[in-house]
Amino acid sequence: MVWLTGGMFVVACLMIISLLALVLYQGLSTLWPRPFLLLSTSSDELIAGELQSWQNYRLSRQNVGELDPASQVQAEQLLNGAAQVNAKRMYLRTGNYEVTNRHFVFVPDLSITSKKPIEPENVWLLERREWGNLYGFPKSLSWTDARETDVVPLVRDAMRDAARVSSALEHQKDLLERTDRRLADSRIAVRQVELNERIDLQAVAEQAIQDALAPSADASSVAAGSTALEGLSVRARRAIERLIEETKASSELQITINEEIAKLEAERNARSVVMQLPIPEAAQPISVSWSELVQGGGSASDELKNAIGLGDVSDTIEIHARPLQDRQAILELRWQNQPPLMLWGTANADGTTSVSRLREHTVLIADIVRLVEPNRLSMIGKAGVYASRWGEFLFGQPREAGVEGGFFPAIWGTIVMTLVMSLAVMPFGVLAALYMREYAKGGWLLSIIRISINNLAGVPSIVYGVFGLSFFCYTIGGFIDGGPVKAGFNPWPSAVWFSALAALAVLGLIAFVISILGNQAGQRDSSMRRWIGFLSGLLWLACLVGIALLVVKTPFFHGFFEAQLPNPTFGKGCLLWAACTLALLTLPVVIVATEEALAAVPNSLREGSYACGAGKWQTIHRIVLPYARPGIITGFILAMARGAGEVAPMMLVGAIPLATELPLDFEFPFLHGSRSFMHLGFQIYSLGFQSQNSEAAKPMVFTATLLLLTIVTLLNQTAIWLRARLRKRFQTSQF
Amino acid sequence: MNRLKAIAEGQKVESVIQDEVLARDPILQIQNFSLYYGRKQALYNISMPIAKGMVTALVGPSGCGKSTLLRSVNRMNDLIDSVSIEGDMLLSGDSIFDPGVDVIQLRKRMGMVFQKPNPFPMSIFENVVYPLRIDGERDKTRLMQVCEHSLRGAALWDEAKDRLQESGLSLSGGQQQRLCIARAIASDPEVLLLDEPCSALDPIATGKIEDLIEQLSGDYSILIVTHNMQQASRISDHTAFMYLGRLVEMAETSLIFTRPKLQETEDYITGRFG
Repeated sequence: MVWLTGGMFVVACLMIISLLALVLYQGLSTLWPRPFLLLSTSSDELIAGELQSWQNYRLSRQNVGELDPASQVQAEQLLNGAAQVNAKRMYLRTGNYEVTNRHFVFVPDLSITSKKPIEPENVWLLERREWGNLYGFPKSLSWTDARETDVVPLVRDAMRDAARVSSALEHQKDLLERTDRRLADSRIAVRQVELNERIDLQAVAEQAIQDALAPSADASSVAAGSTALEGLSVRARRAIERLIEETKASSELQITINEEIAKLEAERNARSVVMQLPIPEAAQPISVSWSELVQGGGSASDELKNAIGLGDVSDTIEIHARPLQDRQAILELRWQNQPPLMLWGTANADGTTSVSRLREHTVLIADIVRLVEPNRLSMIGKAGVYASRWGEFLFGQPREAGVEGGFFPAIWGTIVMTLVMSLAVMPFGVLAALYMREYAKGGWLLSIIRISINNLAGVPSIVYGVFGLSFFCYTIGGFIDGGPVKAGFNPWPSAVWFSALAALAVLGLIAFVISILGNQAGQRDSSMRRWIGFLSGLLWLACLVGIALLVVKTPFFHGFFEAQLPNPTFGKGCLLWAACTLALLTLPVVIVATEEALAAVPNSLREGSYACGAGKWQTIHRIVLPYARPGIITGFILAMARGAGEVAPMMLVGAIPLATELPLDFEFPFLHGSRSFMHLGFQIYSLGFQSQNSEAAKPMVFTATLLLLTIVTLLNQTAIWLRARLRKRFQTSQF
Repeated sequence: MNRLKAIAEGQKVESVIQDEVLARDPILQIQNFSLYYGRKQALYNISMPIAKGMVTALVGPSGCGKSTLLRSVNRMNDLIDSVSIEGDMLLSGDSIFDPGVDVIQLRKRMGMVFQKPNPFPMSIFENVVYPLRIDGERDKTRLMQVCEHSLRGAALWDEAKDRLQESGLSLSGGQQQRLCIARAIASDPEVLLLDEPCSALDPIATGKIEDLIEQLSGDYSILIVTHNMQQASRISDHTAFMYLGRLVEMAETSLIFTRPKLQETEDYITGRFG
C-alpha cells in the first residue's frame, strides 16, 4: 500500500512540477534575446532567423515528399525502410512578415547544408509598432550622409526624437477625439430633448447648423435661423444652440488640428532607415572565379561593381567573404566609412559565379520600438534587453493586436475588475454569513440554504457567465439604458400602474400592522407569535415582489441613456456587470469562509460578553468580528484569487481582446463601469486560440500565463501569511 | 440515604434550610424556581436566599444543576432556545424573570466568571473596561480609574500595571482568570457569579483566586459553584447542597461541614457518596 500511495503522490508531484517548469521556462525564456543565424539548405536557399529552439519531430514517409530533392535522398537514407524515424529541426523566427508572409520557419536538420551557421555581427533586430520584428542589415539613413560604420547611436537619437514627435501627434489626435466626443455629446443632448418633449428637431438642427457654418453668414440668415428656433422650449433651444456652437468650434479646431497633424506626420515620416533583408534578389552572373572571390579578401573588380550597381563608386571596395558551404557565401562589401553592403554569392556549375544584392526595405524610425543587435550583445547587454522587454510587457500598450508589446491594459483590467468585484462581494458575503451564523435560528430552511450555497460553489463558471449576460447585461443594463421596454418588459398603462401602487400600499400597511400585533401578542403565546411572524414575513415578501414588479412595469421610466440608443451603454458586457457576475461566483467562497471563521469563535467569548451586559450587535462587532477577522480576510483573498483567474464568464460579460480605454484612469469619473476591458485570462485564450497567427502569439501566451499564475499565487500566499500572522495574535498563552 | 433515593425516584422532598441563613438580609431571593430543557426538567422548585455581602457556595455532584441555577440568575440560559422556566428570582426585590425586564440592564447589575478564563482578544486595559465601553463611556481618566480600581480589586494591578496595552491573552491562566474577575467587578455589580472559577487552574493560581474571593466578600455578594469541598469550606459563609436538581440542605458553612442536619449531606461532604 505504501508503494501505491507513495507512487500516486510522486505522480501528482511530477505533474505539478512539470506544469510549473513548462510555464516557468517558456514564460521566462520568451523575452530573452537569441542569436541570429544565417544558413543554407540543400535547395540552395538562404535561411535567416533568430534561433528559438531545436525541436524533435517524427519524420515519416508521408512528409518526405514535402522536402526538396536533395533532402529527400537524405531522408530516405535516414528512414532506411522504416515508416517513421525521430529527427530534429530548427525553429527559427524569421520576422519580416510583410515581405515573406511568415513569422516562423522550421528547418529540418537533414536539409541544412551549411557546415556551421554564420552569426553576422552587424545584423539588426527592429521591433516595430506594426508588422512585428524585422531582421536585416542597416544600409543607409534617410536624413544624413554621415560616413560612419556604426550608425546605431544615430538611429537611437532619431528614435528619441521620433518618440517626442509621436507623443505630440498622440496629443493632437487626443484633442481631435475630445472635440468629436463633445460634438457627439451635444447631438445626444438634442436627441434627449427630442425624446423628452416628443418632437422632431432633426430638420431644425440641420438647418441651424448649415446657416451657422455658411461662409456668408450674414445677419439675415442668422436671423432666419433664430426664427426657426422660435416656438421651441428653452431647453430645446439651448440644446440646439450648444450643438451649433460645438459644430462651429469643432470645425474650426479640426482645421488647425489637422494642419498640426499633417505637419507632425510629415516630420515623423521624414526619417527612415534602409535595411537589407536577408532575402537575395535576382542573381547577376560575373566571370570572377569562386575561389578568387571567396578566398581573396581583396577588392571588388569593376565587373562586380557594375553587376551590383555600384559602377559609379571610385573607391576601392573591400570584400569579406563568409562561406556558408563550398558553393555559397555571404559577402560583405566595405568602402568609405559606411555600413557594409551585403551580397549573396553562389558558385555556378560552369565555374562562373553569381552574386545578388539583398532586398532593401525602408523602415520609418518612428515605427521602431526597440533596436537590438542580437549577435553583438554581451551577457549584460542581453540582460538589459530582457529587462527592457519585461518592462514593456508589464507597463506597455499592446502592439500587433496584442501579439507583441505590453500587457498593461490586461493587467490593469484584471486588477480593477477584481477590486470592484471584492467591493461588491464583501458586504454581501459577510452580512449573509453573519445572519446565518449569529441571528438565524437553525432549522431545515437554513440547512437547505446552506447546502445550496455550498453547491453554488461547484456550478461551472460559464453558467454564471450566461446568467450574468442575460440578467445583468440585458435585463438590468437594458433597464438602465432604455427603461422597461429595452429590458424586455411590457410596461403597464399608467392607470393600471397607479392602482397597483395603491394595492401595494395597502398590502404594506397590513404587513406593518400584523408585525406590530405579532410583537405584542408574542409576549404571551409563543406558538401564536410563530404563526404571526410567518404571516408577516410572507406579507413583507409579497411587498418586495410588488415593489420589484412596479419598478419593472413602470410606464414612466425610459432609461438614463435613451438618447444613446441603439448604442448600448450598460446594456452590454462591461466592467460593472463582469464584477457583479464574478461577485456572484465568489459569493459562496466568501460565505463559507466567513461562516467557518464565525463558527471558530469560542462560545465562551460570546457568553463573557453577554454576561458583561453587552447586546447582540455589540458582542458581534466588538468580540466576534475581530476574532473572526483573519478567517474572513483569508476567505476574501481566496475569493479574489478565484475571481482573478476566472475566464469563462469573462468571455461573455465584458472582456474584449483589445480595448483602447482603461476601466480606471485619470478622466472623470475615473472608474468607468460601462467600459469593456482587457483581462489576462481572456487574453491567454484569445491570443493563443483566436488570433490570426497563433504561432507568433504562442510565446506571449506562456508569458501571460506565467504572469497570471504569479498574481494568483501571490494572492494566495498573502492569504496564508495573513492568516498565520493574525492567528498568532489571538493564540492563548500556555497555562 | 433514603432522602436521596427518594429524590432519585422523583418524589418531592422538602429542603432543609438553617434558620440563621433565612434570617440574613438577602440580596437575591430564589423563589420556587424550576427550569426545563425542552421536556426535561433540570431544576425542581428551588427556594433559597443568597445573603448580602457573603459568599454562598453551591456544592453537589456533577449534573445536579448548580451551574444551571447560577446561569439562570443572570438569564444566560435565555441564549438556549429550548429553555423554559417557572417561578422567579428577586434581585434586591426586583423580579428577574418578569417579561418586562430588560435583560441587558439586568446583566449589568451582575458580574460573572466562567470555568475557563475567557479574556477577550484585546488589551488588558480594554478587557477590564469592556462593560463601560459597551455603555459608551469615552472619558479616558474615568476608564483608567475604573481599570486600576478593578485590577487592584482583582489583585492583578501589580502584575499588570506595566503592560496594560498588551493582549489579555498574553497573561498566564491564573492571571487571565483574575482579569476576568476584574472585568466582572468593573461595573460594580450587586452580585458576583462564579462558575467553578478554579477548575482550570493549578493549585497556586487557585490559592490566589481563593484569597481574592475572601477579600472580595463583604464588598460583594458572591455566589460560587464549586466541586471542591475544601474550597467551599475555606471561602464560603453559606453552603447549599444540591442533588439532581433539588436543594437538599443549606446552612452556614461551619455548621454544614461539622454537624449537618441531614445524614445525606454529611455522607456527600465526607466523600462517602458522590
